[in-house]
Amino acid sequence: MRGLRYAFLLTATAVLPLAGQRPLTVTGIQSLTFGALIPGIPTAVSRTDAARSGRFDVGGPHDTQGQVTFTLPSVLTGPAGATLPLTFSGSDAGYSQSQNIGSQIGFDPKQPFLITFSGQGRGSVFLGGTAQPAPTQRAGSYTGTITLNLTAFP
Amino acid sequence: MYTASKAALATLVLALVAGTTVRAQGVNGSITATASVQSPITVAGAQNLAFGNVFPGVAKTVAYSDATNAGRFDVTGQASTPVTYSFTLPANLTTGGNNLPIGSWTGYVNGANSTSGGAAITPSSTPAGASLSAGGTLYFFVGATVTPPVNLPAGSYTGTVTLTVSY
Repeated sequence: MRGLRYAFLLTATAVLPLAGQRPLTVTGIQSLTFGALIPGIPTAVSRTDAARSGRFDVGGPHDTQGQVTFTLPSVLTGPAGATLPLTFSGSDAGYSQSQNIGSQIGFDPKQPFLITFSGQGRGSVFLGGTAQPAPTQRAGSYTGTITLNLTAFP
Repeated sequence: MYTASKAALATLVLALVAGTTVRAQGVNGSITATASVQSPITVAGAQNLAFGNVFPGVAKTVAYSDATNAGRFDVTGQASTPVTYSFTLPANLTTGGNNLPIGSWTGYVNGANSTSGGAAITPSSTPAGASLSAGGTLYFFVGATVTPPVNLPAGSYTGTVTLTVSY
C-alpha cells in the first residue's frame, strides 16, 4: 500500500504543473489582404505590413515554449471556382514575443517553428505571402483560409 | 506487496501517459486571405483617323467629333476604376521617303461611345488619368491636322497612333 500511495504522489506531481497555468490559445486577429490585383502581375504582402499582413495572437504558460505550424492554402478560390495561386517564401512568417509587428523573428511558414511565450504568456505571429494572378485571371473576389496550429512544447 | 507495486507501477504509467497527452494538446485559429482581381484592360482600335484626299499646300483637319473620320479607341476593364493613359503619336504620315506632317492633336474621352458627356483631352505621350465607366468601358476619340507641303508627292500616306492604358 505504501507503494500505491507513492504512485499516486508521483501522479499528482506529473500533472499539477499544468494546473492553473494559462491555457494554449490561438486567435485570428487580422486577415491577409492582397487588395486589388491586376491580372498577370504578382502582388506580395510583407509580414511587416501592418495593414495587410495576417496576424494571429497566441497565448500559453508564461516563459514556456510552443510549436506553431501553419495550414496554408496553395490557392485562393474565387468566382465559379476559379483559383488564384498563392505562394509563401521562407521568411514570410514572423513571431513577436512582444506582439510588436516591428520586432519579429522571421521564419518559414511551411516549417514548424518554436516560439517562446512572453512573461505574460503571450505572443503574435504575422504572415505575408504572394498572390500570383495569371494574365487571364478571372475578375472577382477570392478567399482562402489560413490556420495556425499551436502545440505545447515539453 | 508485489501486487501493490505492480498496481503502483501501472498507475504511474497511466499517469505519465495522461500527462503526455495533456502536453501534446494543440489549439488552432484561422484567418482568411483575400484578394480582388480586376478585369484585365483591353484596348481596341475601333476606327482609323482618316483624312481622305488632301491637296499640296492645303491643311486639313479632322475633328474628334467627326463620327466618320475621327480615330476611336474602345477600352474595357474593371468597372469604375481609375486608369492611366498615354498616346504615341506620329509626327508625320509617310509613304516611301516622303512625309506628310501631322499635328494639332485633339481628343475626347468618355465612358460612353459619344463625344458629349465626357471631357476634351489633348493626346500626348504624357500620362493622364481617366476612369472606366460603371460598365467598365472607356472611349477615346482622336482628331488632328495634316499640313501637306506644296511639293508633296502624290500617294497614300499612313501613320500609327497608339494608345496605352494601364491601372
